[in-house]
Amino acid sequence: MPEAFVPLTDFVNKSKSIPRDHPLDKPVAKWIEEEILDGEVVEAGVVILRTRGCYWSIKEGCSMCGYFNDTVPGGVSDDMLREQWRKVRPILKGKKYAKIYTSGSFIDPTEVPFDFADEVMSDMSDMGIEKVLIESLPEFVTPKNFAYTNSPKLEIAIGLESSSPVVLDKSVNKRLRWPHFVKVCKLARDNGAEVKAYILLKPPYLSEKEGIEDAVQSAIDAAPHVDKISINPVNVQKNTVVEKLWFRNEWTAPWLWSVVEVLQKCEDLPVRVYSDPTGGGTRRGAHNCHDCNKKVLEALKNHRLGLGELKGLHCNCKSRWKALVNQSKLRRNGSEPHGYRSGFTGGRHF
Amino acid sequence: MEPIGHEGLGRLLKLEDNLQTPHVVFSHSDLEESKDLESGGTITIGKKFNLPPSPLGLDSEKSPYLQLSENIAVIDNAYSIQPKKLVEIAKEFRLEAGYSRLIYAPAVEPSQMPILAYLGVDIFDDLNVELRSSTGWVLESGEWIKQNKQIEDLFSHNREELNRWISRIRNAISNGKLRELVELTSLHNPRVSQILYYSTSLLIEKGARVHSKIRSNDLSLNHPAILDFQDRLSNYEPPAKGMVLLILPCSARKPYFKSSSHKRFFNALREVDNYLALHVVSVTSPLGLVPRELEFCYPAAHYDIAVTGQWNASEIEMLRSQLAKLNLKQNYTKAIVHAGSSSKIMTNLIKELGIDVVDTRVEKPSSYEGLEILQNIARMSLSDVPLLNTKDRAKGEATGLAKFQYGDNSNFLVKSEISGRMPYKLRCGDLAAMSPVVGGFGLTLKGGIEYSSQGGPTIIAETFKLIGDLFAVGVKSYEGSWNIGDQVVIKQNGTVTGVGIAKMMPEEMIAMKRGIAVEVRHHA
Repeated sequence: MPEAFVPLTDFVNKSKSIPRDHPLDKPVAKWIEEEILDGEVVEAGVVILRTRGCYWSIKEGCSMCGYFNDTVPGGVSDDMLREQWRKVRPILKGKKYAKIYTSGSFIDPTEVPFDFADEVMSDMSDMGIEKVLIESLPEFVTPKNFAYTNSPKLEIAIGLESSSPVVLDKSVNKRLRWPHFVKVCKLARDNGAEVKAYILLKPPYLSEKEGIEDAVQSAIDAAPHVDKISINPVNVQKNTVVEKLWFRNEWTAPWLWSVVEVLQKCEDLPVRVYSDPTGGGTRRGAHNCHDCNKKVLEALKNHRLGLGELKGLHCNCKSRWKALVNQSKLRRNGSEPHGYRSGFTGGRHF
Repeated sequence: MEPIGHEGLGRLLKLEDNLQTPHVVFSHSDLEESKDLESGGTITIGKKFNLPPSPLGLDSEKSPYLQLSENIAVIDNAYSIQPKKLVEIAKEFRLEAGYSRLIYAPAVEPSQMPILAYLGVDIFDDLNVELRSSTGWVLESGEWIKQNKQIEDLFSHNREELNRWISRIRNAISNGKLRELVELTSLHNPRVSQILYYSTSLLIEKGARVHSKIRSNDLSLNHPAILDFQDRLSNYEPPAKGMVLLILPCSARKPYFKSSSHKRFFNALREVDNYLALHVVSVTSPLGLVPRELEFCYPAAHYDIAVTGQWNASEIEMLRSQLAKLNLKQNYTKAIVHAGSSSKIMTNLIKELGIDVVDTRVEKPSSYEGLEILQNIARMSLSDVPLLNTKDRAKGEATGLAKFQYGDNSNFLVKSEISGRMPYKLRCGDLAAMSPVVGGFGLTLKGGIEYSSQGGPTIIAETFKLIGDLFAVGVKSYEGSWNIGDQVVIKQNGTVTGVGIAKMMPEEMIAMKRGIAVEVRHHA
């Protein structure tokens, strides 16, 4: 494992807080969204189970990740996991696609016991679900961790975040090694699973332009090894380094124009590259000005589902975005003046 | 490098002929991007120098605060670091940077340049000026203004102005008047005034003692709108007799009830039985005291001030006279003070007026512990206070507000059927409803009829169909008097056909042939 960049590790730990008490028998969330399966738009059931959470976030954690807020540090018993599963089954019934998240790694056996995972998988298979998406850190991607007796086709999503060791070390605080990532991608695909990579857009400390360049380079690097790539614009989650920097106005969430730019630069890659910005259009998520947030998010959604292109989008704020991108490296951080995206016109409304 | 002048921690350095600090670099000609994340790019100040790499992965609140290259020390985030922290960092500037490095503060607003120069920053840039220019703002003496006239190539216009602004800072240092320039920029800029406030002891300890003449003044608390607000409070009555007065701190967000701290107060208090019998009054400078139902009234929702937690003698005197206007002994049974750093002063002032007062002694009023203490004290204080129901409370609030706004003419509102509750739903029958734009009760057309018959200011307009605003050319005569910004009633042919906000003085409407006389809010 590469050496830690100590100041950032300290900063991550300082920013964290102990998660509040949560009911153990209820999942964190469940909803239905549109997804694409074999070139066809289908409904997907999405579920976030409450578990002990990511082992890395217990040890150190990443600078942008606030998912530990939803976890139970003492762990969740098998009975409670089964109770949660009973409550989410109705959402998954009749769907072809399921996404099972855990605020951690689904195939970490110390987080989600293998027996429970095996049950759940065969249950979904019986329900007629064709494909299931789970998330994991690369260190748990070994065949024995997902050798289920009976399961739908597996899609393992891995947070690559960036292919640059400097960004991983000094901005994200993730000890992922590129050769290891490549190895586990091959391992997963050789064992019948598909791999999806998450790439961050504008991790903390990076400026808008550095963020765009890093995301594009990471996507180019990752493309040969994975089946699809999701660009995740960094959003401000509670009790994280990102939130601290955001409060201090040393970093702001990326523009939606940057998302569009990255996707357009990745158009010729051999894999699907798309983005579904968490918290898009809000101050804590990727956003533009008030006038075009909705429009651009709609276009991104259509692009994600293969229903439309990203060309021809326009708004007055786009020239502002260009001006900022051009000078952003000189600003030496990810900030911009308050109210810039709307042209400093917004007064206080109440 | 030759120092030719000092003031505070700032210095006027001669670098080359025609090149002195404080100096501004222009991004398009003097700054070069870094090649990768681990290098720093270059800066040209006469000669080209390397910049240190940007502070990846570092916590800006931890030392070392400056990023160093051979010739340059960069203070990143100077525009956003908390004022108190910034002064702490300024204390370390020369320890970290030494005297032979130039200190560069990137992406700073022009209005903050004088104070930063005063604390020792040598180099500024035009990055924020470029962004402002791209949105059409014009720089004028360090401030941003909107101008109707189109300026060709606004960015170079603003760059020239920035150059003049920096040379004004240099001149100020050489004339020993930088302090004056800093005071000038701090007057209407809470951030600068906070930095200035906190830097006093550092300047006494380490600042250059230049014997320039001090031309002092005492500007404060004399804004006409503020004096008017304070004056009107003398006729004010709380919603009901025998309530418990609760003093809370003010908030940065206006009106206060929309701030996160006041929402937390409210959420904690509404769990207490009979919480409606608590009368919330916020303590603030320069307004003094703002009862909850007056929070919409100008200027209670329209001011901003540097928060220092310190009250000076004239402010305390002002608070004393405002408290006296509330008639504590007659109006309230007791008082609770939960105002953080202002608690002690308020408690003492209330004691002087001879009613029982409890100080919660909480340093952070909206913290979890603070709220718990407030809740318990409120519960105890309210246990022997007669029950106040929603309806009576709303009636009392509406009465207080109507009197505050309409003075002697408020009777028609007080007598109407009052419903709803503060803040947004409160209304006086079909005569008036809450309006943030008006800042209190905005009259409806029916309300306008009543107001006019009670002697409210009325404008007689020519006969035509009123559809939009009323222009000066359509004004025939007027009754009563008003100031610009007051609510007025429009009459045509003897009947009321509109209500709105006056945009001209009475005689001015008659004299002018063009321009908006009344911004109409409702018309027939």
